[in-house]
Amino acid sequence: MAENEISSDIPAVPEETEPLNPPPRYFVRLNPSEKVQHMLFVISFFMLALTGLMLWLPERTFHFLGSTQESVFFFRSLLHRIFGTVMMLVCAYHVYYLIFRPAGRRWLRDMMVRKKDITDFFYNMLYLVGIRDEPPEFDRFSYKHKMEYGALIAGTTLMSVTGLILWSESYWDKFLIDVSALIHGMEAILACLAVMVWHLYEVHLRPHKFPIDNMWLTGIIDEAEMKEEYPFHYKKIMSDPELQKIYVREGLKQDG
Amino acid sequence: MRLSRGDDMVYPDFQFHSATRGMVAVFLKLIFLAVFGLLFLAGIVFAQTEAAPDEENCLICHRYPVLGRYDENGNRRVYYINDQLYANSVHGKLRCKSCHVDLDKIPHENVKKVDCSTQCHIKDPSSNREFSHKNMVQKYQHSVHGMGAGEPNGFPEDRPTCTYCHGNETYNPYAYAGFWGKSEELSRETLARCQGCHTDKTWTKKIYAHFTHRMRRRRNQDEIIKLCTSCHEDEKKMERHGLEAVSTFKDTFHWTLVKYDVQNAPDCITCHIPVGYTTHEIQPRTDPVSPVYKENRIKTCSNQGGIQTCHPAATMKFAEGRVHAYGTKVQLLADEDVATAKTREGEPLLMARAREEISAEEVFHYKVLSWISLIYKILIAGVIGFMSVHQLLDFRRTRKKNKKEANHGGK
Repeated sequence: MAENEISSDIPAVPEETEPLNPPPRYFVRLNPSEKVQHMLFVISFFMLALTGLMLWLPERTFHFLGSTQESVFFFRSLLHRIFGTVMMLVCAYHVYYLIFRPAGRRWLRDMMVRKKDITDFFYNMLYLVGIRDEPPEFDRFSYKHKMEYGALIAGTTLMSVTGLILWSESYWDKFLIDVSALIHGMEAILACLAVMVWHLYEVHLRPHKFPIDNMWLTGIIDEAEMKEEYPFHYKKIMSDPELQKIYVREGLKQDG
Repeated sequence: MRLSRGDDMVYPDFQFHSATRGMVAVFLKLIFLAVFGLLFLAGIVFAQTEAAPDEENCLICHRYPVLGRYDENGNRRVYYINDQLYANSVHGKLRCKSCHVDLDKIPHENVKKVDCSTQCHIKDPSSNREFSHKNMVQKYQHSVHGMGAGEPNGFPEDRPTCTYCHGNETYNPYAYAGFWGKSEELSRETLARCQGCHTDKTWTKKIYAHFTHRMRRRRNQDEIIKLCTSCHEDEKKMERHGLEAVSTFKDTFHWTLVKYDVQNAPDCITCHIPVGYTTHEIQPRTDPVSPVYKENRIKTCSNQGGIQTCHPAATMKFAEGRVHAYGTKVQLLADEDVATAKTREGEPLLMARAREEISAEEVFHYKVLSWISLIYKILIAGVIGFMSVHQLLDFRRTRKKNKKEANHGGK
């Protein structure tokens, strides 16, 4: 990592066609709108998980609070509904974004599952077990992103529908409420575990990323990381000036 | 001698250096002196409080705290009566023999259990007649818990008696917690106001306790659930009466509110004995007078007339469903074709009741829920398992690659 940073900041040996001392180049992974969407989603996901899992705490967890427990429970319920609404609004905006915004349409196009993802998956597995020496060249979104994105769509849809049913319980058949409560709980366990194992590893624990990948705040990554992780997308951008206008930023500070 | 639970404690052996030992001994002596001094003072202060009139001289023996024995089942029976506690209890004005009849011989022979429907020699201030719990006992006998016209299924010992729920714990010094028992909310200030006019402190205290006791719940939700489940969670006991054990209440959202001590939290009696019904006349849910009878459920769920806000907008569709999760009866019917050869005692009755009470629709609902649960379990295990393996491999591989690069860079 250290060597990569140095080589990208102050390239000692000029590369083949590059001019001497070019300004450092950064690549956009998340644009400002996507950053805000992600941020709202993170906050609401965390709060929903927290206030939801509180229902399953053992019996005497909050007994030391005495009569304050009741207020704790009241605000738990209130916050769960508030952040549930926030999450649903973010998702609704995201759908709008995917359909009506050029950047969103590009996102949707890049997120579509292709034949390359399936071959990438197998090649990457072979790479991970040590049979192949190099990982496959990933496009803008690798199979990891696409799986997670798909799971997110399925998960939030299920959680929203069952959550709304539970919120308006008096109007429904008790059986439907039972089914909703079961799915809401099971899906919550699945989502929390998946986020912990899949997403938090990718952005926190992964070598090169520890303790945290700042990309969710900055929205950009440097050229070395781009070449390393998304080489296919890098090549595509470099061969297309239109894409360069969208994805390449020059001379920005990484913390900006 | 076992006076209290504290005696079971094992005291650790303290080891002191010889230099400090003398100081510790002096210190301990001072503590002992202080404790005994305090006890002595307390004795003087509390000796002045009223004691029960003991006209029958029962306290000659029963005032000794060690009076008691272990019975055939190994239960500790305490025959000690604390006269001050007794005087402050609901029955403080009664003589012992008003309830404990046939105790003329010493040592006592043929001791019968106290019958709460006995007529006691105390006047009911409302009617000026001799007071008795007889009418309550009669009502209770016709409830689902009572014996009615005799025990249809046998096992009369399973039926709760009066004292099973009305445990007047003040008689038992070991269960006694604090001067007011469990009634922490009794206001000393209010009581002091009463005592301004009513100079007989014992009488005032008793009447005050009697009224306030009925103004609020005697047991909180958690305690009610413990009381009811002390029988209703007992699978064997329930099976022989053709009932399923209430093991599934704690799967409901109602229980979650109880866990957080929410004032409005629904416990057993919130739905089974709502406002307008009495505990002593509780009936099975198949009886049209029961609050959980299908037709009455909207009223029960919306809790009209009660001060608790439950489900004010409840519709019939919502109210007629199952509240407790699916229990033994549905499971029996669902597994019927698979496992027919169960021979546990009492199961035929439970099975017959299950066939009578559980509709095919309910069995279908149970099956759907079980399937969803199973699918999710497999999904969670599969997905999270795959993810963990993938990420572990990724971690190993990335570190290996880093090491290789670092080595090459070094050379």
